[in-house]
Amino acid sequence: MPAPPEKELTVMLVDNEPARAAIVEQAMIDSGYRVIRRLENAKNLTEAVAEFQPDMVIIDIESPDRDMLENMSRLTQDNPRPIVMFAEQDDSKYVEAAIRAGVSAYVVDGVNSGSVKALLQVAIARFREFQALRLELESVKSQLEDRKLIDKAKGLIMKHQQCDEPAAYKALRKLAMDRSQRMTDVARNIISVMELMGGSK
Amino acid sequence: MNLIQPNNVIQNSEPVRIGFIPLIDCAPFVVAQEKGFFASEGVNAVLSKEASWASIRDKVAFNLLDGAHMLSSMPIAASLGIGSIKTAMQTSFTVSHNGNGITIGNSLYDQLQHFSGSSLDIRTGVALKRLIESRGDKVAPLRFAMVYPYSSHNYQLRDWLSRAGINPDKDVQIVVIPPVKMVDNLRCGDIDGYCVGEPWNSLAVEQGVGHMLVTGYEIWGSTPEKVFGVNTIWAEQNQAQHLAIIRALEKACLWVDEAENQAELLSILSHPDYLNCTVQQLVYGFGSIKPKSQFDWPMEAFQRFSGSDINKPLPSYALWVMAQMHRWQQLGNNVSKLNQLAEQIYRKDLYYNALGLVEDKNTIEWQLPEADEAAWLSLVSHGKVRLHPEGILKGFETFA
Repeated sequence: MPAPPEKELTVMLVDNEPARAAIVEQAMIDSGYRVIRRLENAKNLTEAVAEFQPDMVIIDIESPDRDMLENMSRLTQDNPRPIVMFAEQDDSKYVEAAIRAGVSAYVVDGVNSGSVKALLQVAIARFREFQALRLELESVKSQLEDRKLIDKAKGLIMKHQQCDEPAAYKALRKLAMDRSQRMTDVARNIISVMELMGGSK
Repeated sequence: MNLIQPNNVIQNSEPVRIGFIPLIDCAPFVVAQEKGFFASEGVNAVLSKEASWASIRDKVAFNLLDGAHMLSSMPIAASLGIGSIKTAMQTSFTVSHNGNGITIGNSLYDQLQHFSGSSLDIRTGVALKRLIESRGDKVAPLRFAMVYPYSSHNYQLRDWLSRAGINPDKDVQIVVIPPVKMVDNLRCGDIDGYCVGEPWNSLAVEQGVGHMLVTGYEIWGSTPEKVFGVNTIWAEQNQAQHLAIIRALEKACLWVDEAENQAELLSILSHPDYLNCTVQQLVYGFGSIKPKSQFDWPMEAFQRFSGSDINKPLPSYALWVMAQMHRWQQLGNNVSKLNQLAEQIYRKDLYYNALGLVEDKNTIEWQLPEADEAAWLSLVSHGKVRLHPEGILKGFETFA
């Protein structure tokens, strides 16, 4: 856990993934930062930055609002608050890590770069954690989906061939091996063929 | 020199990750993929739809993408390190020319009627200048939008305003809004006008939201709009692939401009993987169809993808863009050797190499006299140098 900053840094978090925003926000609060969370659309983002004047904005790299955010120093001409992309040339390692994790950060010029780095590390770690969770969830979902397909195909084979379940499974597996296809692909083919023939009803 | 012959199809190539923004001028990339032009050159292209220009820039800079559909100013800004970390990028292929326009909302248009003797006063910005003077500085400035700080849209909007005597940094406010959100922002009055590519000008007219005033062509003549930009390190390490991509894009550009392919083109582009919209929304982006009540676009102003040197990356255009960056205080003071920079970023030689063309030595491109860089930049910023009315292919004109 990085050391808390000397002066309380205010961070605006812009993320359309509420689940991720929640874990990133909590991690930042735990590290001693004040977080203003914004999940609304781009129009609100412009107003919110003007209103709250955060020291730093952390935004999902896939957000279409980044182009607006980058140009916002122009918006604040009356009260200059330069928003610059974090990192000078020698910090490109950090930026690369952030980009790979999906984090993009903009900081007000003059903020202590040590605490920005620490904060960015927290954000990168949480973004990665969230990505891993999501991948896991997707993989579980797709496994479930595969299971269902195979069960449905087995059922169709059992009905059509009037055989028991192990025999249907064996037939399905043989078909997959003969064709060098995945079981799920074979199952999907069987289901679509049967549906075409009206056999699935 | 290791000249690679055209049609020398490369074998077993590594995947090339190419980013694009869902705009109509990503068409050559999509067509090269869908019609098999990449494949027939042996290029294993993987297209990646990106959400912002900033994302394109960062992913190319940090090797998450090898190259991308880019604004023509983008490889220059990245190479100079303005607006982002300095990363050498280059282009050897111009994807499209033209397609931009300036549109204002109904309310502003109605106000301008009181300040104009003729429609020309509105189209040239003269009426706008009078309106701004009458408003004084007690009210919030009028707000105009463009798509990215380093874009032809920004520079054309600023040039148009300043030609009418309007200071783009003081007399109005200029903001960035993504193209797809322009019409809605105009409709709800968040902005008073914008400079954007088609079909967002025509759609505002069709929907009765605004009036289009002027095309980018009338401001700058025919100029590069999008390019295929790559990370220079990638280009140096993957020359055969790079040249093969240029050949594929060249074929795709010819295909896109072929009138008989238009129905198929619109159908491909509208697909969810690409622009994810109806064919009807794309129609105004191509060809001569424009909504009723819009003034006649000059034929030359249409977006073009092929023919008469459209695809050749001209270093003189890079010089022009750098001069615009200087003009609007984006460039900083310590830039010199502009010719050299322009040649490094806009790689005409690779374009010739890829297509097996021999450069005609009789057509020497305009170059900035070595000693006069500062003087030339100063002339541009005072409006004393303009692009030729027909565009960058014709060079520059200097006024006294």
